[in-house]
Amino acid sequence: MKLWLQIIIAMIAGIAVGALMRVTGFDAKVLLPLGTAFLELVRMLVVLLIFASMTLGITGVRDPKKLGRLGIKTLLFYFCTTVISIAVGITFATYFELGVGFSEEMANASLTITEPQSVSEIFVSMIPSNPFAALVSGNALQIIVFSIFLGVAINMSGEKGRPVMDAVESLADVMVQLTSIVMKFAPVGVFGIMAWIAGTMGLDKLLQLARFVLVYYFACLLFASVIFLGMIRLIAGLNPVRFVQGMWSAIVVAFSTGSSSASLPVSMKCIQENLGVSKNISGFILPLGSTINMNGTALFQGMAAIFVAQVYGIHLDMYSVLTIVITATLSAVGTAGIPGQGFIMLSVVLTSVGLPYEGLFMLAAVDRLRDMIGTVVNVMGDAVVAVTVAKQEGELDEMCYNQGLPELEGSEV
Amino acid sequence: MKLWVKIIIAMFLGLVSGWVIGPKAEMLYPVGEVFLKLIGMIIVPLVLASMTVGITSIHDPKKLGRVGLKTLGLYFVTTVISIILGLTFAFIFSVGYGIDITPGQPLAEVEPMTLAQIFSNLIPINPFASLTTNANILQVIVFALFLGVAINFSGERGRPLLEIMESVSEVMYSLTSIVMEFSPIGVFAIMAWVAGRFEMSVLLSLAKFLSIYYVACLIQLFVVFGGLLVFIARLSPGPFFKGMWEAMTVAFGTCSSSATLPVSMQCVQENLGVSKNISSFVLPLGSTINMAGAAIFQGMAAIFISNAYGIHLDFLSIITVVITAVLSAVGAAGIPGSGILMLSAVLASAGLPIEGIGLLLGIDRIREMISAVVNSMGDAVVAVTIAKQEGELDELQYYDVQVAELEESEA
Repeated sequence: MKLWLQIIIAMIAGIAVGALMRVTGFDAKVLLPLGTAFLELVRMLVVLLIFASMTLGITGVRDPKKLGRLGIKTLLFYFCTTVISIAVGITFATYFELGVGFSEEMANASLTITEPQSVSEIFVSMIPSNPFAALVSGNALQIIVFSIFLGVAINMSGEKGRPVMDAVESLADVMVQLTSIVMKFAPVGVFGIMAWIAGTMGLDKLLQLARFVLVYYFACLLFASVIFLGMIRLIAGLNPVRFVQGMWSAIVVAFSTGSSSASLPVSMKCIQENLGVSKNISGFILPLGSTINMNGTALFQGMAAIFVAQVYGIHLDMYSVLTIVITATLSAVGTAGIPGQGFIMLSVVLTSVGLPYEGLFMLAAVDRLRDMIGTVVNVMGDAVVAVTVAKQEGELDEMCYNQGLPELEGSEV
Repeated sequence: MKLWVKIIIAMFLGLVSGWVIGPKAEMLYPVGEVFLKLIGMIIVPLVLASMTVGITSIHDPKKLGRVGLKTLGLYFVTTVISIILGLTFAFIFSVGYGIDITPGQPLAEVEPMTLAQIFSNLIPINPFASLTTNANILQVIVFALFLGVAINFSGERGRPLLEIMESVSEVMYSLTSIVMEFSPIGVFAIMAWVAGRFEMSVLLSLAKFLSIYYVACLIQLFVVFGGLLVFIARLSPGPFFKGMWEAMTVAFGTCSSSATLPVSMQCVQENLGVSKNISSFVLPLGSTINMAGAAIFQGMAAIFISNAYGIHLDFLSIITVVITAVLSAVGAAGIPGSGILMLSAVLASAGLPIEGIGLLLGIDRIREMISAVVNSMGDAVVAVTIAKQEGELDELQYYDVQVAELEESEA
């Protein structure tokens, strides 16, 4: 049975069992350790996963000068869309007050969070004074900064840097495997969390989680149609309908696998054959994007951070929000496109502003549901940038792009 | 433009702008802090990897022991000379008389560590725990030593690990070069901060102490270290100072000898032709246990405070000062700002009031600038001397520095 199906079944079973226990007067909290154990396993992955995949990602950019105008333009597009997605997530969560009133008990826990005092403090605290200490404390920003420097230094060392590079590469592969092993336990974890929520908190909490997912879908659709299609229309000057048509099979694959890496080959094919983007451009932009550009994930992180803060009744000030934006942007860069990476990275974003890690619990239960649309946005984001850059660089075959559009052809004649 | 030229320009600009901006220059400090943290990030992996590799390339255990003993011996001798130099200068120029004693904030006394404590602190209980703090560099050194020997014993099967270590040390050298590109910015910020928070009145009242300290440090640098090169290593001192110039400017501009370690390792290997196995062993060890500049300060400060308080020091207490200063230099290994911290141990041992340190706190940063230079040059001089004696010095490379410089100035 496919993993996503297992997870959906586990969700339903969890709700049923939890509701049953509630009715019969059992304490559903006994099932929570199943969820906690799963989340601890996830946590085990974070540090090494970021370290290895980030370093590897940087070594992939061989020579910053060779990267050139095209590369810088691509990175700039990725950066802007990522920041916009986080902002959209934060805005939606704030506007809809997704987490307010979730749990009296949690809101009254009166947690104090460590707030950075100033922008310069945020930047100083991003730099590790000892890489091992950063790894031990799990300080993701510091690990990312170290990995960036390490990656550049490995490239600079040439042949002599190879053994380290090989080791990092191997570590990254092993961590991806480890992630998929851990994800096999996801149904058990989701079952435990769902039973706990249904059993101790009741139906209205489930509805509130469902509302989170619905608002997320809404935000994603709005983001994709306004920002992405707007980019196609206004910046690239192309027909957005044709873009969606051409990318359709990649969108379907992304929705069902929840993995932007798994959708990469399909979207590569779509963008080259249906949309007429040259192989030069797509071969460079899409693989880069599938590792460093995650719009759907970024949107989720902004939304989830606000959700957790609201659940715990914590007010986030401007600096904390800025820290969330920086961390979410960088941690989106530091993850491979594997299923589940969204909420693996969420733990990083939460801890960066001192929000309780436990806030993940509720969201972990529904993560699979929301990851489906999230991956679609991730994949579309890469493709949009590829088409836009290709158009601007004159590497887009417009005949090919427009071929599926009879009405346009008709108007040309 | 060469890097050291940029650093010197940055230093100058920093001092001027700090002086103009005044105390508000404090807001530039985070920039300097970022730079110091970036260098700090390199130190532990660099020491671990390069030292392990260095040890594996010394196949003869006897040689390992000989080099180790010689290093410790030379460090001991130079430290004692530095303390005596400090004492003597302070006596001759009778520093400290007529100073207005206004007690500063009370300071906690630091107990000097006993030899037993020092030794038990050397051994890492958990190598990963030792790697997580820059203060535990001595434990990292000890671990690297054992690891290197164990890799050699493992023969062929140890090779993959050795290759990774070799590669890590190379990568860390590249990383040093990358971070050093930022050094002018960092030095600018640090110098502006130093100059900005400085009160002229404090400087004037301690001008005599400070200038005598600088003179003593220069004598240590050129007479003692230069003499060591001429008479013991039998090398011309000129190329040494030219080759180390970059490290010297970095030390002066950052006030930190440990921040200078990655740079001086590069200078010693690439400009002076010291083999990697000697330099990767001698320099990290020296950066923690050999602080010639700090030792001069401790001797000088002891006399300064005894004069200021009108306490007469007899011969025995002077001997005590020397012994405590040597021990505390070892025990202070890796404690940041240890110069001033360990001074309290030295003062206490001679029965001098610890509050006296407050008199000298105001000039600590300016003192540390030259102090860091002497500290790091003290390590480099020992590395060159031992390399020469062990036949691990590429003399062609050592003198090439001069040739290259001459060619350039002729052109």
